Amino acid sequence: MTNKIFCVIPAYNEEKFIAKVIREVKKYTDQIVVVDDGSADKTAEIALAEGVNIVRHLINRDQGAALQTGDEYALKHGATVIIHFDADGQFNAEEIKDIVAPILSGESDIVFGSRFLSKKSVIPFSKERIIFPLARLVNLIFFKAKLTDPQSGYRALSRSAAEKIIIEQDGKAHCSEIIAKVMKYKLRYKEIPITVTYDDYGQKFGGGIRIIIDLVIKSLIS
Amino acid sequence: MMQQLLAILIIVYFLVKLIWQKKRHSISRSEFIFWLLFWLFSALVILYLPVLDRIVQNLGFSASGIEVMLYLSVAVLFYFLFRIRLRMEKLDRNITKIVRALAIEERAGPKIKNVSDKPLTTKI
Repeated sequence: MTNKIFCVIPAYNEEKFIAKVIREVKKYTDQIVVVDDGSADKTAEIALAEGVNIVRHLINRDQGAALQTGDEYALKHGATVIIHFDADGQFNAEEIKDIVAPILSGESDIVFGSRFLSKKSVIPFSKERIIFPLARLVNLIFFKAKLTDPQSGYRALSRSAAEKIIIEQDGKAHCSEIIAKVMKYKLRYKEIPITVTYDDYGQKFGGGIRIIIDLVIKSLIS
Repeated sequence: MMQQLLAILIIVYFLVKLIWQKKRHSISRSEFIFWLLFWLFSALVILYLPVLDRIVQNLGFSASGIEVMLYLSVAVLFYFLFRIRLRMEKLDRNITKIVRALAIEERAGPKIKNVSDKPLTTKI
């Protein structure tokens, strides 16, 4: 069976980084789909000029929604492996080959990149010491998931895993939702070390609280 | 007495407005019935305050009848707020579905193609 490695890049107002990210990712994937999440800048035009596939949200629906759109697009076009990759240039594209390897070998259904394994990412102190330990605890209590990196956005999914994991959390709670669904469907998962370069702080403590509220609300309406 | 009269006048104003809205078909039948019962119940509470006080005392509350009604109304308002929040979440989800369907169906980019000069397909 021939593999088709598809990279999904959700992008919202990322005109500064998107071209560089696409050029890097191109080296390691068969196809790329950029999900322009209602950007007000030239993200879509720049991505289009790079010759990749683009789907555009008419209005901003946030990262989880954009990832699901990308997944559906990739599945529709025959993806066998789907990679989730951020558009802000914080991930290292060279590590794509490491993150897809366990899926290509049939060892895992989903692979998470972890900033806390052997490679060393420069992580803000409060994130490393307060926010992430709390998030790990939430994942362990609610989903019984023992992952070193509770909020990693760098991951690879096999086709069957992507078909099962339907992301319903439009916002940042999608990370926890994916972990919950991995546990629910008893998918084989693995963590591999990645390096992340922080340009800004990213998810703050208030954002973490928002994630918990989103997860509770979702459990009430579903 | 003056306070009761004022409250009744306010209720009459809302009842007249409600009937007018129903005649203009700007509210549904179920909405009309809900608000009609609500305002009639409010009028009854205002007219029979001493009876309400006795009921509340018999139930073991130390507060007056109108105070207990106020506490209950705050609880009901919180409940409605919660319902609205859930409804908004559902609406939000439906909006995402529409946006996604449009995005995938009406893709703005070029026809799908391999991004690298040499396809990186792998055999397993």
